[in-house]
Amino acid sequence: MWKSLCALLKKDCRMMVSGKFFLMSLGFLVLYTLYVNFGYIRFMDASLYNVYLYDPAGTQATVSPLIQRVSSKEALDAVLLDDTNGVGIDASAGKPRLVFYEGTEQADRHRADYALSLLQPSGNGRAQVVGSNTPEQKARKEITCELLFFEIAAVGFLGIAAVLFKEKSMGVIRVHAILPLQKNLFLLSKLVIFLLSDLVFAILLTVLNVGLRDTASILPGVLLQTALLSLIMALTGLICALLLKDFRQFTLAYLLIAIFVATPVFLSANTAVKLDWISFHPFYHIYMGLKNAYFGTPSKSVVYYPGCVAAIAVLLAGVQRVFRREMKKEG
Amino acid sequence: MIEVKNLTFSYSKDKQALHGLDFTVEDGEIFGFLGPNGSGKSTTQKILTGILKGHGGRVSLFGQDISAAHTQAFFQKIGVLFEFPYLYANLSAVDNLKYFSSFYPREQLRRIEEVLEELEFKPDFFKKPVSSYSKGMRQRASMARALISNPKLLFLDEPTSGLDPSGAVLFRKIIEKERKKGTTVFLTTHNMLDADLLCDRVAFMADGEIKALDTPGNLKERNSNHRVIINYLYQGRREEKTIEAPELKTGIPFAHDEIISIHSQEPTLEDMFIQYTGRGLS
Repeated sequence: MWKSLCALLKKDCRMMVSGKFFLMSLGFLVLYTLYVNFGYIRFMDASLYNVYLYDPAGTQATVSPLIQRVSSKEALDAVLLDDTNGVGIDASAGKPRLVFYEGTEQADRHRADYALSLLQPSGNGRAQVVGSNTPEQKARKEITCELLFFEIAAVGFLGIAAVLFKEKSMGVIRVHAILPLQKNLFLLSKLVIFLLSDLVFAILLTVLNVGLRDTASILPGVLLQTALLSLIMALTGLICALLLKDFRQFTLAYLLIAIFVATPVFLSANTAVKLDWISFHPFYHIYMGLKNAYFGTPSKSVVYYPGCVAAIAVLLAGVQRVFRREMKKEG
Repeated sequence: MIEVKNLTFSYSKDKQALHGLDFTVEDGEIFGFLGPNGSGKSTTQKILTGILKGHGGRVSLFGQDISAAHTQAFFQKIGVLFEFPYLYANLSAVDNLKYFSSFYPREQLRRIEEVLEELEFKPDFFKKPVSSYSKGMRQRASMARALISNPKLLFLDEPTSGLDPSGAVLFRKIIEKERKKGTTVFLTTHNMLDADLLCDRVAFMADGEIKALDTPGNLKERNSNHRVIINYLYQGRREEKTIEAPELKTGIPFAHDEIISIHSQEPTLEDMFIQYTGRGLS
């Protein structure tokens, strides 16, 4: 069995090398690292927002010393014109009203929440410390998590399908039906090689963008989540590649997966867009599992891991079924 | 080697592909399985090679019931040439053979170069990718894959398809050589010449049934009208006469100056196929 598995792994490696899969992964790794270190982190390195308060009647009694008072509405407008990242609070009518010159209140909850929190600095609510990350480290972990999720869910998925479509078009899958080997090894070899490749990618991406010291503490959790996502995507890719007629049909399925699977997850997790049904979206939980792993917070859901294992088992059964069907096909 | 009794198979409830086949293939025999597309040839071969399961009737290979026969040990004993040359296009013939042979016990394998040379494969192409090969060369590389493991039972599906005439002659020689070694060959083909020249016995398949099964010679003889056509010259004129073959026992039974040619009116295997199945091989 080991001899057969080694032969299959060696062949799959050659297929991936000839399909430029590793080269493509390396290219993405360099691209992501450059983006994180020379783009995203610099862009996200914003100073604290200034908060300006116009409160002629003195209705706000307990304001933070971080708030800067202005003497008139005109002065508030003038200062916000100059400091476009700032947040204005107009309390002239008694009830505080937020004033922005960039963005809207709906899309900029962070700034709105921060500004309002400064009006009640000694309130009952105490901030809970959830981690000791610096803002830069937090930003690095967030973007690395997003890029890793995208890489495995979209790019790696495309890679496994491309390799299998190649073998399918050459008809060689059928030859394996009459070879003296356990047929499941053919699938196992592909899963192992894609899993290993995703794990190596996850390690390199995390080390390069989060740093060696932080990586060491979060790596086991990140690798576990990466493995779950990688197996689910690889099995989905195998099913699609075996079921669909050609790569053109696959690209349509790929578009559907990209639009309906990845987009809502990213929108919900990274923007102010609220999707009430997102908790029913399985990939949202997988994404959050990966994100929690980057911040060293284990998943508290009791159904998450059994759910992942069940999904992998169902997909594996599906792959075996379509694989057997493919072996029976004629020219 | 192969024993099939009342073999039935259905792809779905209303699509029965095989209707009770009965045949045996002896050790070292070349058995031809002839039939048009959709007649059930490939289905039968897939059942025998363990690709299709869920058949009815009794099938045994190597003296063992088929349900227990499809083990790794079974696959080590068979070689299969598919109708199309399925190979890794990005690998060379040598690398393809190295890969496919890696699943067999080493002591069972033939030398890759020896097999390729036997198939008159151009040495320049040994290490070039299959994508650069002609159709004939791909077929040779595929045949090499089927032969590399020294199989005891060889399933050949249209072995000479895609080959030029000299390639087809070479393949027939190799199949003959395999028979001399004691290999049993199950040959599925449309090619009547291959069947006629190679097979010890042939089965005519149509609509999932075996319509006739015998040696090619017997099938033709049984249906021969035992007549010969003689072209000859007599008194400066070219003439033709049809006579009963037994009349030749005492020599040419009519006056002539010179015999130009004698043609037996024995039917071809294709004529026999049409007669038994009511259709041609297409």
